[in-house]
Amino acid sequence: MSAYTVTATPRAEEAGAVALAVASLPATFGPATEDRAADVVVVAGEAGWTTEAARAIDSGPRGILVVDPVPEETTQLADAARAAGAAVVLDLHWASNPALVSGSGDPDARDAIRSAVGTASLLDSVATAAPGTDVQRLLARHLAAVLAVSGQLYGVSVLRSGTTGYTATGRLANGAPFTAQGVLTAARPAGVGIHLYTADGGVDVQVPDPDAAWPAEVRVTGAHGQLLLPTLYESAHRAAWRRLKTHLSAGTLPDDMAGFARLTDLYATLAAT
Amino acid sequence: MSHIAAPADRPLGVGILGAGPVTQAIHLPALARLRDALEVRHIMDVDPAVASSVAARVGAASSTSLEALLGDPGVEIVAICSPHQFHADQVIAACRAGKKAVLCEKPFAMNGDEAARIAEVSAATGVPIVVGAMHTFDPGWLAAEQNWGDLPAQARTIRSSIILPPNARFEDFATEIITRPATGTPDYSDVEVIKAMMQGGIMGLAIHDLPLVRRFTPDFDEIEVLQARHVRPFGYAVSLRTPTRVIELRAVMNSTWKPEWTFEAIADDSALRIDFTPSYVQAGSAVATFSRGSETSTFGPYGHNGYEGEWRELAELARGTRPAPSAQALIDDLTFALAISAATVQDVATGHAAATETAGATA
Repeated sequence: MSAYTVTATPRAEEAGAVALAVASLPATFGPATEDRAADVVVVAGEAGWTTEAARAIDSGPRGILVVDPVPEETTQLADAARAAGAAVVLDLHWASNPALVSGSGDPDARDAIRSAVGTASLLDSVATAAPGTDVQRLLARHLAAVLAVSGQLYGVSVLRSGTTGYTATGRLANGAPFTAQGVLTAARPAGVGIHLYTADGGVDVQVPDPDAAWPAEVRVTGAHGQLLLPTLYESAHRAAWRRLKTHLSAGTLPDDMAGFARLTDLYATLAAT
Repeated sequence: MSHIAAPADRPLGVGILGAGPVTQAIHLPALARLRDALEVRHIMDVDPAVASSVAARVGAASSTSLEALLGDPGVEIVAICSPHQFHADQVIAACRAGKKAVLCEKPFAMNGDEAARIAEVSAATGVPIVVGAMHTFDPGWLAAEQNWGDLPAQARTIRSSIILPPNARFEDFATEIITRPATGTPDYSDVEVIKAMMQGGIMGLAIHDLPLVRRFTPDFDEIEVLQARHVRPFGYAVSLRTPTRVIELRAVMNSTWKPEWTFEAIADDSALRIDFTPSYVQAGSAVATFSRGSETSTFGPYGHNGYEGEWRELAELARGTRPAPSAQALIDDLTFALAISAATVQDVATGHAAATETAGATA
């Protein structure tokens, strides 16, 4: 018998591979039955997801998981979740990969990058997705992954955007250039690469899509040589579910939406340019 | 001890103008691998001590003047490894001296007029000219060329990324350098310094791969700069586009031990990535990887790099066993590089002016 029952809309199920993620945490999560409300509601992160999530909170679940949310104002949802004591976890396409932010004190990309970003000379990043992907959504996933590890970005603007991808530019706190390129191609696996260059090396992060448990790779290069951080064979989806489990078990509320607000704010400035 | 067979034909004589680190650490080691075909006979440098010291390493004559080298009957191929501003006149003089072939380090001219003059002299004298864009002679690149099918017509995204330590690291793996140019600490607050560094970045570093980029850019004469950012201590982040292509150029020269030099051309359903070995070291060729979804095919590594490839081609040109390269292609490569260089410098200047204006408005 699972501790928490789960229900998902068909679109959320498809986008988040919910059945697979739930099946990989069988002692904690299981499918809801028709005779009682689910403990966890899964919402697809398409436009209007904050409204849908707020409506779901009204039915009294203990947790909400949002799959691949698009940038959207979350203040009201955060207030509603706090008032209801509901844990809202965001399953971000790449940014939820456990190699980026471990959440458990293990070495991760965020620590590696933040310890080096002050002396960075360039932060370069390339996101790859299949032709036909919505480039605006790709850019949001891309920036979410970068923001998860980099800290604040300044002066970000989109230089070009079209059917083959985009180029965005900005700067780090120390003034070093930040670049983000999106490439639509079926020639390569989808994913995002983040490359920080410093005076004597840097950090390379390669994050795969979350539809399998391919591990991200984080390599730290310096005078000592190169260090590959421990590989984690866990998808971004499962890592999000595992975080939800932790919060439900501990009775704590995640700060996902506070972090997501940085992406929403950045995205709003891009839309204005 | 290995046995070196006596050459069937007498090796061709090589004369080198300029005996700096590129000659010492790149060309002499590459030529040492081709002793059956090529023999260094004359080294010229404006510093007589450097000229004689470097020449003594290979048993060659030395001098301090262009005329002395060109007048040496033992010199059949001339390599021009002098500072950029001398290239055009020296190429022309070598052609007029009746040499069998000329290698000119890139860039072979600093403007279109110089390039046109060189093309005229090369055509009039029949002396073939090779520009030292070594990656275009790399067996990994050549294997890619044999196998890329219609990728140059289909690719929409092109990337060149160069991550390198200062040259000294690899020079010291290749030889024992006797002179190095002095380096100073640049004033990054001076826009003229940044402009000069951006120009140096394009014409000294990006230019290695711009001929490769141009092969995938049919509308290369309609280039537009989207951004040109200087990267400290030396490098650039440049975004370009044409009506049909997106071109991203990245370079960082820091103190890393880990070089990465890649060229990528990406289409909707296929892509090419080439990983080049660093300059200076004899580390074999690039590796070319084609990908199509989850399928990949790889070519290389092969046993020699593009510098050795240049010299192999020069030997064939001098012996008349290979047709001369297209002068128009060399001019187009140069024009492409000059256009990007000028536009990036202008973009940096414009950006600096805008930043200054903003700072003034908010002060």
